[in-house]
Amino acid sequence: MQYSQKVLDHFMKPHNVGKIEKPDAEATEGSPACGDQVSIFMKVDPKSHVIKDIKFQSYGCASNIATGSIITDMAMGKTLEEAKDISWKEAAEELDGLPPVKMHCSVLAVDTLRKAIKDYEIKHNLSEADVFSKETIVEELKKVIYPKVGEDIVTLKMVKYVGFEDGIAIIDLEIPKFDKYRENVAEEVQEHLEQYPEIKEVKITM
Amino acid sequence: MKKYYFDNCKTTQPAPEVVDAMLPYLGEKFIFPANFVLGGSTAAEELETFKRTVADSIGAQPSEIHFTSSGTAANNIAIKGFLSENAKNGTHIIVSVIDYPDLLTNAAFFEKSGFEVTYLQSDDQGLIDLEQLKGSIRKDTIMMMTTFVNHTVGSIQPIKEIREILDTADHKVALHVDAGQAYGKLPIDVNELGIDLMSISAHKIHGPQGVGALFQKKGIVVGPVIHGINRIDNHQTGGISMANIAGFAKAVELTFSDLDKTISQLKELSSYLMEKIETTIPYYMLNGPKGKNRAPHNVNYSFDFIEGEAIMLMLDIAGISVATGSACASQGLKANYILMAMGRNHEQSHSSMKFTLSRYNTKEEIDYTVEKLAEIVKELRRRSPLYNGEK
Repeated sequence: MQYSQKVLDHFMKPHNVGKIEKPDAEATEGSPACGDQVSIFMKVDPKSHVIKDIKFQSYGCASNIATGSIITDMAMGKTLEEAKDISWKEAAEELDGLPPVKMHCSVLAVDTLRKAIKDYEIKHNLSEADVFSKETIVEELKKVIYPKVGEDIVTLKMVKYVGFEDGIAIIDLEIPKFDKYRENVAEEVQEHLEQYPEIKEVKITM
Repeated sequence: MKKYYFDNCKTTQPAPEVVDAMLPYLGEKFIFPANFVLGGSTAAEELETFKRTVADSIGAQPSEIHFTSSGTAANNIAIKGFLSENAKNGTHIIVSVIDYPDLLTNAAFFEKSGFEVTYLQSDDQGLIDLEQLKGSIRKDTIMMMTTFVNHTVGSIQPIKEIREILDTADHKVALHVDAGQAYGKLPIDVNELGIDLMSISAHKIHGPQGVGALFQKKGIVVGPVIHGINRIDNHQTGGISMANIAGFAKAVELTFSDLDKTISQLKELSSYLMEKIETTIPYYMLNGPKGKNRAPHNVNYSFDFIEGEAIMLMLDIAGISVATGSACASQGLKANYILMAMGRNHEQSHSSMKFTLSRYNTKEEIDYTVEKLAEIVKELRRRSPLYNGEK
């Protein structure tokens, strides 16, 4: 597995590292247990909603650091609406690609950026917090990447069933029995869904 | 750029003498061992000498040594061959949760085909639970498998005590030992330790890749696993490489001509590395035991607030090869199972760095490595949301 030169450049000399004191918005996603965590801090122009300054911190591997660097580069100077539209595929392309097994780092970086934007919007009454539904679960599952091909499990049709009743999320996954990422994908689904207070229990069948 | 290699647990640089010893067999000495014909009987005599060299290094007889195509092949032949041949006496085996993957995947394979497996737990130092072992031996227990030196944290399992516990049973319980990381790192006398089957590998002691050996104690029956023609060995059938075997024997000679010196050299280097790390870098945690229960070539630390793949990659860019227990650098994206079984949390596993030394390493190399490591740890902590700039 090889990183592109651009990934290595951003890893060795990342842009926009650090914390902003009294930020207008911030978000942290991931966890040390998963092996990657990103925090993003922003200053936003209240009139134009342009991102004036953006910084990140990263606990994680090389691609985690590189995606934090590139995503903050890409968001800087954009309006919140424009920044919201940056996709994890665009972020990965901007780094001249990421190995499939590292694609989840790009998802995490984009997710953190979107959470920070949402944080700003909620604080400034520009939008309301999302209402939780079965759709929320499906959207969250789109952030789980199958490491073998670097695509999300919903697009890959690996999610056979999603149910939500009485606080229990029921997910049926289709993963080959001897697939070395079987446990990893199940753990990722678990970790992604656990963060919702509405979900009391996650039941995964394979 | 100069290379600094500290991943000798994975594989080692072949000694120049080893390469020289192999060359004739890649040229004019290509004939397989055989009786009565000139070229063949010379090869047969040489094969016998190579067997004796390996046998002498562990206090065994040449007839008890089988050359195999790798350490993993030796493990498979020993485990599969012994269990299939001896299943009539019982179908219960014992292994531990921190054993080498060769042993654990074989245990899982037999579990699926009807064997019962007891998995012994580990303490926080990477030593298996002997009390649990005492309570695990049953009437139908036929084998215990263990990893002499743990490949992640260097803990040395007390083989002699294990043997004594197994001997309290009123029937024979065979002991299979994976000695891949122990061989050439500590003295091994198979008779004194009561070992029945043992695997070793050439490329962990500056020999060639693609050759190992199985010690099979006289009287222990191992059925055929790899069916085929007996060219060099009745277990590892087919045409295995005489060049590799010659290289292996040379590596054994070099390592064992003065084993005490080899060991004290490794000890001196690892103590130096550990002292350097502990005095240079704050917020570390040693993984595995300190002192006599630790193999002399293994150094393993976790560094708080940061992740191991990033450290490994930055060291690699500086020319330094090491290993990490981080999930990000693993095949199945999972935290290191040995560190987790020892009670470390995910974060400590992700930040673990393993340095494994060889006699070719020097103190100057260690000085450079720790200097770079300290810079890298400092820089990654600066970027980490978990680090608050503690001193």
